[in-house]
Amino acid sequence: MRKSWLRDYIIKRLIYAVIIAWAIVTITFVLVRAGPSSPADRYLANMTASGQDVSQIVEAIEARYGLDKPIYEQYAEYMVNLFHGNLGWSFSTSMPVIDLLKNHWIYSFQLILLSSIFAAFVGILVGIYSAVKQYTKTDYIATFFSFVGISLPNFWLGVMLILVFSVKLGLFKTYYDTTLPLFSLDNLKALVLPVMTLGTGMLAGYVRYTRSAMLDNLRKGFVTTARAKGLPERTVIGKHVFRNALLPLVTIIMFDLGSIVFGGAYLTEIVFGIPGLGQISFNAIFANDYPVVVAVTLIGTFLVLLINLITDIAYTYLDPRIRYD
Amino acid sequence: MNDVILKATNLKTYFFTRRGVVKAVDGVDFELRRGECLCLVGESGCGKTVTALSILGLVDSPPGRIVDGKVMYNNLDLVKCSPKQLRQIRGKEIAMVFQEAQSALNPVLTVGDQVMEQIRVHLPIERREARNKALSLLEEMGVPSAERVMNSYPHQLSGGMKQRALIAMSLTCDPQILIADEPTTAVDVTIKAQILDIFRELKAKSQMSLIFITHDLAVVAEIGDRAVVIYGGKNVESAPVSEIIANPKHPYTAGLIECLPDISQTTDRLTSIPGNTPNPIALPQGCSFHPRCPKAMEICSQRQPPQITISQEHEVSCHLYQ
Amino acid sequence: MIERLQHMAKKVGRPLYGNRRLISYYWERTRRNKLAVFGIAFILFLILLGVVGPFCTMDPTMVDFEKKNLPPVGFTAVKSLYHIETDELTTTEIHGTWKHPLGTDSKGRDMLAMIVSGARVSLLVGLIATGIAILIGTVIGVLSAYLGGWADNVLMRFTDIMMTFPFFLLLVLIVFIFGPSLAFIVLVIGLTGWTGTARLIRSESLSLRTREFVIAARALGASDGRVIFRHLIPNVISLIIVIATLSIPGVILAEAALSFIGLGDPTVPSWGIILEAGQHSLDTAWWVAVEPGIMLFLTVLAFNFLGDGLRDAFDPKSNV
Repeated sequence: MRKSWLRDYIIKRLIYAVIIAWAIVTITFVLVRAGPSSPADRYLANMTASGQDVSQIVEAIEARYGLDKPIYEQYAEYMVNLFHGNLGWSFSTSMPVIDLLKNHWIYSFQLILLSSIFAAFVGILVGIYSAVKQYTKTDYIATFFSFVGISLPNFWLGVMLILVFSVKLGLFKTYYDTTLPLFSLDNLKALVLPVMTLGTGMLAGYVRYTRSAMLDNLRKGFVTTARAKGLPERTVIGKHVFRNALLPLVTIIMFDLGSIVFGGAYLTEIVFGIPGLGQISFNAIFANDYPVVVAVTLIGTFLVLLINLITDIAYTYLDPRIRYD
Repeated sequence: MNDVILKATNLKTYFFTRRGVVKAVDGVDFELRRGECLCLVGESGCGKTVTALSILGLVDSPPGRIVDGKVMYNNLDLVKCSPKQLRQIRGKEIAMVFQEAQSALNPVLTVGDQVMEQIRVHLPIERREARNKALSLLEEMGVPSAERVMNSYPHQLSGGMKQRALIAMSLTCDPQILIADEPTTAVDVTIKAQILDIFRELKAKSQMSLIFITHDLAVVAEIGDRAVVIYGGKNVESAPVSEIIANPKHPYTAGLIECLPDISQTTDRLTSIPGNTPNPIALPQGCSFHPRCPKAMEICSQRQPPQITISQEHEVSCHLYQ
Repeated sequence: MIERLQHMAKKVGRPLYGNRRLISYYWERTRRNKLAVFGIAFILFLILLGVVGPFCTMDPTMVDFEKKNLPPVGFTAVKSLYHIETDELTTTEIHGTWKHPLGTDSKGRDMLAMIVSGARVSLLVGLIATGIAILIGTVIGVLSAYLGGWADNVLMRFTDIMMTFPFFLLLVLIVFIFGPSLAFIVLVIGLTGWTGTARLIRSESLSLRTREFVIAARALGASDGRVIFRHLIPNVISLIIVIATLSIPGVILAEAALSFIGLGDPTVPSWGIILEAGQHSLDTAWWVAVEPGIMLFLTVLAFNFLGDGLRDAFDPKSNV
């Protein structure tokens, strides 16, 4: 293999990732179980109102779900189950956590995917154009709009879009319709507002980062060399400058992706009522359904770790000077 | 040997910045004859590089602009050419080699990729043929294991190799004129000697004309046929190399020659020209050199000296010879 | 010779520290950036609003059902009432009044008062939470860079773990479990948002560590603490200022988002809470959703402009 050290590096990173994931799961577990509430709480209100003997029933519920055992036993049980791929049972929805996830991941996935593609495509192109035409009116406008884009509170944008396009203009429905088949045009239409909401912030970021990465490279020596060779300008910009700009660009994008996208997707799902993983975990938190919370955290963590690893590997191909020895 | 293929007349390139107008090149003239090596000489910051960039229209255009003058090549005024015309000339008829090979090469592309792309943009030949051509050029430059070098990235090569690759790259389309911007400045002495050898061979073997930019008079003596000394963005003196070294007329040229350390003598201090290079935003009144000139007269601070012809090939801009 | 070294270590190592000329130099460069100036102006306005505002406006928690759903001054809204007795739907137009210049919400609370109260909250959250985060981040970053070795390793692994945690989820989790009081929210945001700062400060400190003036100071016998406090930290101050200014919007948005999903402090009207209420009355009282959002947007924008301007001003390579 051309880069033999790469294989060792990947193995090291995977081990590292597992350790971090374990640490995070443990912390989440402890946090959730350390709280004063328990899954039995949602029954409490009803029970007290009907004058039943609360404590006995609570005990019974807790025994059923294994919540009366000491915490380290619960933890051990959970980890063992996890090892076997069993993510537990969701109290609030009465189904295995894995099934719950299976039913809902696709909604998050399509939202994030479409938003990312939209944002990346438009954002990078505008960023390149803006950098090449620095100091022109177009550049100023693009820069200003990118500031606006990253400053708009994501959830407010969603509400505003609903206000304008659904309530006042009636072009879209106010809530995401889950009965639509996934690969239909109607579904796409229903996703327009959510994608715009999530995508705008991402797009603005892409414009900014691409522009700054391109600007850093536009005045470098090899650009003059490329022009002196008689290469057409689009090759100079597209091949020489952009390839070098990719490195810092990818860095910042991946850095952002983990934090902003997941936070933003979370909020977008809540605003539009999209039943993705964000919405699920949100409901689970309010229902004290800890297996779901831990499971979603785990997924989020793994994705971030995976993205980081892929980025670091991509680096070595983008910049041949980088080695992980 | 005697026909002029490139002639610059009153070239002026200014940079318009927030702090003022930088007159990097403020009236430079020179002629390049077929097969000869013309040296543009001067201290750093005197405008030599900008002159070279102006020839090919490579000056950074938002702040910089060629505001006056002509550069005639093949009955074409390069200053007035369209970008499309310029692109056909660059790399093919007039090529350029830059000072620092590490920053002149793209770090994320292989050397082979960069050499071949120049070939393929100008010559209609297949990939395989282009590759062979690139390989043979590298070998001609004295690059050992040319195949490996082609597949390497710039940072994996030594300074000398990079410079050779850069030179090879510029020669791929057999240009009529090669402009070399201080190719020996950023390298150490042994490599400097090797590179000078390469240029000497190039001169001997081909009809190619060379514009060699340097601040080092020793290099000029070794490789140049004619020299044009530039100070403060203007011509100061121009003559054949042997003449200018034996018989420098301008005090600046004389000063430069004196600065060359003589290895056969032991001295306590090295001679240097007192003072600093002028600030191109605020050039001194009159002759730009007068604050540092040991022979300055009153008229030197008032009026710019005209160009005076001393002999057939020797011209000077100095009030001393009026 | 020793005096020269001492002099050099002192002068070179403390760029902003009480150096008035430098401060005015950076101020000049910032001033030229029009967007940054707008940012400063708006922030000052906001501070004014937050400090003086509550004394000039009504009580934001005062409920008055008679006056509910009033539109802002100059706007009109349609109020429909269903009369059970007559089985009729009457629609009347109501106009905004100067008494409630920004209108009222569905419970008759004055919008202007609530916005002002929200300004206070956002500023407090922004400043305090960012302060906490920057403090922790700087300490960890500098220590990590300076101590090196296994201390660096441990601290960075810890930072990695905190960084990988989905930030917002963590926030929601903690606030939900331990209760949504404002003080607690501020604390939690500060305690979870330091990771980026730590990383940046650490890398800057690492590069500073090998610079001549630090080596000079140590050669003169300066103790570790002295080197850190009098040489390293003053040099990262400009970086800290930029990071702080650019972190404040994120913090303010985090609090607003928490309030929006219902985990805000219900006793304090913050912009996020108002927005959440407004979300449900978009057709009857759209201004309840629009006003806090605009304020949030402008606040974040102002800090972003300012932070960007400061970053350019401090960067020696950019020509301002």
